Order: sequence, then structure tokens, then C-alpha cells
Amino acid sequence: MNKLAFAVIALALGASGAAQADAVLVLNSEDASYSILSRSSRIELARHPVGREPHHVIVTPDGKEMLIGSTATNELLGLDIKTGERRRIVKDIIDPYHLGFSPNGKWFVTAAYRLDHVDIFHADGYRLAGRIFIDGLPSHMAFDTESQTVFVTLQQSGRLAAFDLQTQTLKWNVAVGNAPAGIIMLPDNKRLLVALTGEDGIVVVDPKDGSVKSTLQTGKGAHNFWPKGDGRHYFLSNRVEGTVSLVDTTDMKVVGNVRVPGGPDCMDITPDGKELWVTQRFLRRVAVIDIEQLKVVASIPVGKSPHGVFMMKSGAVPAPAGGPVRAASTAGETK
Amino acid sequence: MRDLTDLWVTAQTWIFETLVGPVIFHFGLMAWYEPAFNAVEFVMLGTVQIAVIAIGMRFFERRWPLERPGEDDRLILVDQVYTLLNKLGVVPLVIFIVTYPLVTAIELYVRSWGFAPPRLERVLPWLGDNALASFLLYFVLYDFAAYWLHRAQHAFSWWWALHSLHHSQRRMTVWTDDRNHVVDDLLVTLALVVFAQLVGVQPGEYVVILMVGRLIESWSHANVDMGFGWLGDRLLVGPRFHRLHHALANAEEQHIQDHNFAPVFPIWDILFGTAIYDGRNRPTGVADPVVDADNGRGWIVQQVTVFWRFTRALVPKLRRATAL
Repeated sequence: MNKLAFAVIALALGASGAAQADAVLVLNSEDASYSILSRSSRIELARHPVGREPHHVIVTPDGKEMLIGSTATNELLGLDIKTGERRRIVKDIIDPYHLGFSPNGKWFVTAAYRLDHVDIFHADGYRLAGRIFIDGLPSHMAFDTESQTVFVTLQQSGRLAAFDLQTQTLKWNVAVGNAPAGIIMLPDNKRLLVALTGEDGIVVVDPKDGSVKSTLQTGKGAHNFWPKGDGRHYFLSNRVEGTVSLVDTTDMKVVGNVRVPGGPDCMDITPDGKELWVTQRFLRRVAVIDIEQLKVVASIPVGKSPHGVFMMKSGAVPAPAGGPVRAASTAGETK
Repeated sequence: MRDLTDLWVTAQTWIFETLVGPVIFHFGLMAWYEPAFNAVEFVMLGTVQIAVIAIGMRFFERRWPLERPGEDDRLILVDQVYTLLNKLGVVPLVIFIVTYPLVTAIELYVRSWGFAPPRLERVLPWLGDNALASFLLYFVLYDFAAYWLHRAQHAFSWWWALHSLHHSQRRMTVWTDDRNHVVDDLLVTLALVVFAQLVGVQPGEYVVILMVGRLIESWSHANVDMGFGWLGDRLLVGPRFHRLHHALANAEEQHIQDHNFAPVFPIWDILFGTAIYDGRNRPTGVADPVVDADNGRGWIVQQVTVFWRFTRALVPKLRRATAL
């Protein structure tokens, strides 16, 4: 696309106010910036600086803000979810690599990947309730549906830890496999799925005691989940294999695979539930997958090492209980 | 530009996913997956730099040599070994393995106390919308730190014992820039990485700064009598400017090498009174016969003998024992 066409589209979208409603946010973790993309035109509209090493983004419980964790500057950047405008900076949130709100909106939790601790905050005012130091690179997290427990994967030690939110104490810490990363609680609140980036699949874990109930082969470097929206199927990125798998969690089997080169990582679904957007960390791109065909239909250039991706929209709501820690696409989840 | 970036990252991704990533995965080193990908880029950049030196810069040396080819040409061979070992990542890998725990410990200690250096964009918001200006500003800051490190290499006797290896070359060419003792490389790298973290240089910017900076430094060692004109020579270090820094001392100019320190931007020498622009060409090398003996030695012997020189300078007892 030539520069003139790009400018015309950007101006038209901006003038109509459609730019934000149609926008996708991507965090360029090694460029210290975030990109705003047009969902319909599949182009990058703008790029803005943000702290250092931004990795993940979530939505606040009131659904009004996106919070970007800037890991190396120890802060959160709050953007208006409708307009993308900067609203505030929350300081003194140490190494917020992965972050999430409990389903009841009462607790805010961060996993400090580099600094080996898990911080539990009162979500109201981001007041630190407790800091638990734990070895092994705390990586990703999920909550139980009752907002009693947060589960954190420990990528280097190959373990999964559960923390009581009310008392900020360790409930259990067990080995689950090599390099556990993405984790999700299924809607029945009885099964945790943990992606093993050091192996070629996922494990099903009992949230009561961390025992491994079963395994499923998906692809090398299984890394992160995203719900398809029907409560049954979940997408899973396999970073080393270079694929995204569609997993049926009822029958516990892989029902589809799509090749996504370049270290596929975080995902989000468009509000109409038709497209899955996946960051391609190495290629500095975001792939667009047609969900019906399970086929990559576009790949959009962004910044260096794109990690988190988020569909901006008006009236967004927080993630459902037990769901991913980043907000899901509302339409996609309620289908 | 985007096409070039695409071509570059596609090649980098292919090399990584075909050759490196599977090995990392096989040995269960997934915590190093991302750093290994960046290491592939480092080697690719090194290959490009070698090509630019061997094809582009050497063209000027062959066409307009300042010092004519002679029997001393064999002295250049060891500098080529240094360049290959550095640019292809062998020496940097060793340095990384040694410095990583220390750099990480410093970073984690500082961060665990809640200290996070602000990016310049926080102070100068307009920088965020101007990638070129941002890059140039970080480049200038980085070069400022490198200038003072270079002065320290000459000021401390123990550091000069290491750095004198770089100056001992009598046949200075485009290959000379990488002629450094690994401990010297290690100290400079350690200091510059900590500095880069403190001022907030991003990994992406750091790679480009290294690439551009090292190419300019290779060119500044070229065996040619060239500059960038009166104004250009005050904006960018060139061969004529830097050759004076490598000049062989004599009775009239005993401290000639304590001038023209700047790696890339001569402004630091102008500001701090160490710049000389006299247009004279001087022979290069070091008058001290012990240091001059580096010439003619191979890589391993140079590393061993210079390390011994460094140890003696560092430990007074050893220095006295040697003197006896």
C-alpha cells in the first residue's frame, strides 16, 4: 500500500471516530512501544512509546481502561479503552510481567518474571497486600472462579504454584513439566490447563492439589491459550512448532492446527468471532487467522518482538471467571 | 525500508527456527529462547560488518593507501583474526557468559529496590514520535560514555597494560578496531551495558548503535589519509582524526596518544580539550619495546602475554618481583 493510501485511510478512520472502535493494540516488547492497528484495513495506524519492555495488557474490572505492564520501569500505563488516550500511570508496581484481576475484581496480581516474586494487591487503589518471593521465573497466571486462589506457572523450575488471595500465602507448589507458561482455568472450575513450553503439549491439572490428571500432545513449545468463546474450544500457540492448535477441552483432543511461523505467542479474537489475531514475536508481525477456515489470511508488520495483542472496543467487560487474565472479546465469548 | 526489515527478520527467523531453536528446545534451555534469537541477529550483523569492511573499506585502502604495502603486511593478519572472532560472536559469547550473572545481579538488585531509570521520552515527550532523533540522542549519550571509558583506558596503568595491545599495531588498518584483549573487551562491555540500562537504551536501539558505531570505528582505523572536510571532521571521527590517537610518541610529542579519544563524535575531544587537528600523518605504534613486542605474535600468545602484563600492573608485588 502506498503512503498516500495509508494516509487517506488513517485520516478517514480518525475523522469518523472509527479508528478506536476498529482498533487493535499490539505491544512491541523490544521497541518500548505499542502499535495501534486498523482491524478492517489491516494496517498499522500509529506507534507510541511506552515505558520499557511492555509484555502484557489487561482490562480493568470496570471495563474502562486497558492496563499495560511496563516491566523495566515498574509501572502500569492506563489507556482509555474507547479512545486509546493515556489516562494515568500507576507507579511502584515492580516488574509487572504478567498481570490479572481476580474474577470478582477485588484482587490485582502481578507475576514478576525477572525478580521472582508474586505480588497480590487490593485492586482498589493498587495497594500491596502481600509479596511472595518464589524461585523459578513466575510466568503466567489464572484464577479460580470463586476468586479464592491464583495459580502461577514457574517457567524455569517446571512447577505450578497456588496462592491464597485472602491470606497471600502459598497453598501448594508442585512439578508439572518442563517450562510451564500459559495457564487457564476451565469454566467448570475443576481443571487447569497448563502449556509446557519445554515440551510438546499441555497438561490437565487438578486445582485442588496440583496433581497432573492427563496430557495432550499439541506441538513443540506449547505456550499460551485463548478461548474460542464457546466455553469448550481453546486456541493454543506452539512457539517452537510454529503452529496454533484448536483444542476441544471436553474430549481433550486437538481438532485443528494452523501453521503460524515466527514464534506465535499471545492471541485475541475479533468481536465478531471470525478472526484470531496472533503475535509473531520473531517476524515482527501479527498474523490474522480466519477461524472458520483455520487459515492465515494476513500478516501485518508491527514493531520488534510483538507480544500482547488486544482488541479495543467500546463497552468491553473484564475476563470471565476462570478465563484468561487479559480481557476477551465480548462477542466471541458469549456466542 | 520495511521490505529490507522483512527480508532481514525472515532470514533471521529461518536461521533460528531451523538451526538454533530446535537445539535450545532439545536441551531444555527455553529460558534462553529469546536471547538466542537475538544472538542470531548479532552474528548476522557481524557478517554484514565483515562484508562492508572487506569489500567497501578495503577498496579505499587498496586504491589510496596512506602507508604503502610492505614486508610488515603480515602484522595485519592477527587483526583479521580479532575481527572474525569478535564480529562472528565468539568473543562476545564468552564475554556474555562471564558478564551475564554480574549484569543481571546489578540490574535485579537495583530494580528490586524499585529504582527504574526513566526513558528520555519521559523528559522529552516529542522524542517518542521521532525515531531518528531518539536514536541519535541515545547514540550521542552512549558515545559520551565510551569517550570517558577510553580516557580511563589510558589513565589507569593496569587498564593501559591491556589497552596498549590495541595501540601496539604498527600497521593500522580497517581490521585494527577489534584488536583488543578479551579482558579489556569485557570491562568496556560491562560498563557500557550498565550505562545503557541506566539511561534506558532499548535492545533494538542498542543493536543499531553497536552496528553503526563499530562500522564508523573500523573506518576510523583505515590506512588512508581521508577526512570529511573541515566541518565533517568536527562532526564525525574519520581516519585522519583517529590516526593521531594511534601516533607513535616521540621526544616532542610524548603524550600524543592522549588526544582524539572520541569513538564516533569528536565533540567530546573539542569540549574537553583533547582534540588536535593538525593534518599531519604520523607513524603508529607504541614506543615501549615491551608493548611493541606484541607485533608479530599470534592471537593466543598476545592474549597470554598481555594478560601477564595486566597482572603485573595490577599487583604491585608482581611488578616489583619482575623488576628484580
